[in-house]
Amino acid sequence: MTASEDEKIMTEGGLSTSAFSLAVPEELRDTVTLTSVSAFTEFLSTYISPVANWARSRAVWPLTFGTSCCAIEMMHVGMSKYDISRFGSEVFRATPRQADLILTAGTITRKMAPALITLYEQLPEPKYVIAMGACTVTGGMFNDSYSVVQGVDRIIPVDVYLPGCPPRPEGILDALLKLQEKIRAENYASRAAGLYKQRAVRYVDYDTGLPMEDLVEEVKLEMQQDV
Amino acid sequence: MTAEVKEQNLKTDEMIINMGPQHPATHGVLRLILTLDGEFVKHAEPVLGHLHRAQEWQGQNRTWFQYQALIDRVDYLSGMHTSWAMARAAEVLDECEVPERAEYLRVLVSEMNRISSHLLWLGTYLIDLGAMFGFPFYPFREREKLLDLFEEIAGQRMMFNYIRIGGVQRDPKPDWFRRLREFTREFPDRVDEYEAIVTENPIFLKRTKGVGVLPLKLGQDYGVTGPSLRASGTDYDLRRRKPYSIYPKLDFKVHWLDKPEGGDTWDRYILRVREMRESNEIIKQVLDMIPEGGEIMAKKQNAGLRVKAGEGFSAIESPRGILGCYIISNGSDKAVRIKWRNPSFCNLSILPALLVGHPIADVMAIFGSIDVILPDVDR
Amino acid sequence: MSDDKEKTAPPAEPEGPPPPGPCGQFLKDHGIDSKRLPDAASGHEVIELAVDDLQRSLKLLRSGDETCLDLLVAVSGVDQGDSFESIYTLWSYENDNQLTVKVKIPKSEIKEDELPMVPSLSTFWSAANWHERETYDLVGIKYLGHPYPRRILNPWDWEGHPLRLDYRQPIDALNDKNPKSFR
Repeated sequence: MTASEDEKIMTEGGLSTSAFSLAVPEELRDTVTLTSVSAFTEFLSTYISPVANWARSRAVWPLTFGTSCCAIEMMHVGMSKYDISRFGSEVFRATPRQADLILTAGTITRKMAPALITLYEQLPEPKYVIAMGACTVTGGMFNDSYSVVQGVDRIIPVDVYLPGCPPRPEGILDALLKLQEKIRAENYASRAAGLYKQRAVRYVDYDTGLPMEDLVEEVKLEMQQDV
Repeated sequence: MTAEVKEQNLKTDEMIINMGPQHPATHGVLRLILTLDGEFVKHAEPVLGHLHRAQEWQGQNRTWFQYQALIDRVDYLSGMHTSWAMARAAEVLDECEVPERAEYLRVLVSEMNRISSHLLWLGTYLIDLGAMFGFPFYPFREREKLLDLFEEIAGQRMMFNYIRIGGVQRDPKPDWFRRLREFTREFPDRVDEYEAIVTENPIFLKRTKGVGVLPLKLGQDYGVTGPSLRASGTDYDLRRRKPYSIYPKLDFKVHWLDKPEGGDTWDRYILRVREMRESNEIIKQVLDMIPEGGEIMAKKQNAGLRVKAGEGFSAIESPRGILGCYIISNGSDKAVRIKWRNPSFCNLSILPALLVGHPIADVMAIFGSIDVILPDVDR
Repeated sequence: MSDDKEKTAPPAEPEGPPPPGPCGQFLKDHGIDSKRLPDAASGHEVIELAVDDLQRSLKLLRSGDETCLDLLVAVSGVDQGDSFESIYTLWSYENDNQLTVKVKIPKSEIKEDELPMVPSLSTFWSAANWHERETYDLVGIKYLGHPYPRRILNPWDWEGHPLRLDYRQPIDALNDKNPKSFR
């Protein structure tokens, strides 16, 4: 379901697209059964949302993704002096299937980029990304290097940017707190419906090396020509 | 294949497993392609380059002054040693005389760096073996104290940019020396704490005794240096063999084990613990011997920093082995070629030979004991 | 007196090649000629060998009793503008000897679209294995007889050799400059 289809359904008479319901076919749009359950859960989610977000934001479990120097500061933030588990990140999960957050600690090179994209896709929703360190924010000191991806926001969407080389453990905690504020500002049902799908800022398709906007333009042109 | 399998005439097949670039053994990003026969490794191929950041290319395209700030990332756990290797190579080319107090400060901070690197190695090694977040709080507590001292003297917890071509950057206050002395006074008790938990631990012994035996001849053939080879019957330590800086004046012991048939992972562990204690003693001696006052920098640190034309190779003993820098300069503001000889790159090349025949559970134990830092491998 | 003024200076003697150092002498005893280059900055010997003598001389240097140079510290490759050099730094585990061996391949001797070729040491010296792969990857010197001649640091299908002087990096959307960047 592309974003435009979502918008179409939302504007037509306020029917919900919450993930608790299946996509409703045209003929059955005016029947009551399925839509009322989802409308009820939508209504309920305005009350559940604050509670769900309160719980969700205080238990964000990161993935152990430490590529390079920032990984050491990530280790320090997990240790006893700057304890991250008092902010909810009790454990660092090794497998992306059980994690909520990728804290990209370390430079992402071209060779590593497919692995990071795979990891990001393996994280179950709702998932967040904190780009940690100058190398992942914009490429950092490896500005003209031939093998470094200039900023991880070209391949995965980022929620919080955290500069520093490496950022202090208190900086990582600050970024985590900002992420928690961001989570609390969401609507849980909209998140579950996938309406907060973020695009990477300069989204690049890894295989061709072209910006995603160009590829989307091409596909749109082709679809128009087919029609 | 085990005897039972052979008896039953079962058909077995090899399995190729990828220990991918992201794994919780936090050594960085290394990909191991293992060919397994049941549980036992038959062939291992490390795939490097996931952290290749083109630092040698940067050496050609950044001025000397700019490049000094960037090389701490080559081996981020021992940034002082990396800066020292390049500074020493450039000073030898330039025939530049480093002031005496600067030499003492260099030895001081690099031995502190050796302790902090071994502490982190110890913590992460235990994480690799499964003592997740139980034991590592202890060494990191000491590491935090050392990082506070580093922050005062160099301005940064990790990427110091402190040892420059021609000297060191900043002179610490007298209070700093007092606090360092306090640290050295309580450190041996802390090491006793770690040893009490780990050294005689039956689980640790079962996992590391007899595992990953590195014969001396094999190690010498592959160019292995550092504690990994000193546990196998050689006392090759650059601080004694080709002494540099003020090491000839210091009285310290080079720890090595006389086992030419090969040291296992337990031997490599105990050697690093002993090296930590020895570095503590070195720091105490240097604190007593350091001259009061004096110059700390011989070359002006600005964009006009130049190194005379010539070629030369110079190395120092880093916590992982011989870290060397081969510089080709033509007198201009950028180098012609800076080649790094990293100990982790050479030590890692022995991993395929060491892993053969071991069960897959030993892969991380052996890999952790070689003490590899991935940016050191990939640059 | 005019005779004194017109006295011509004695003709300058042509300078012969510098006398071989200890390792050069050792190789000469075994019949290998080497050219002695100016000493490296730390004072130790630098010799240049012909491409065909490389494997034999390194075997001799490694096993010789006086030299015993059995620690291959690094194999570096340099693009010197008019030639490629493959530089071997040798130390010793037993004694204090140091030696730098260079093999020079002028660019004029390399055919179009081919790489400079040097015989590989990895058949008898395992330390050279990964160093030679790295030199092939970054500088583009091909080592003949290497058991696994693949790129080691860059992806296997990378094109170009980054540390060459004429390398242009491919700019695609993954590493192009942000239009708002100050660089």
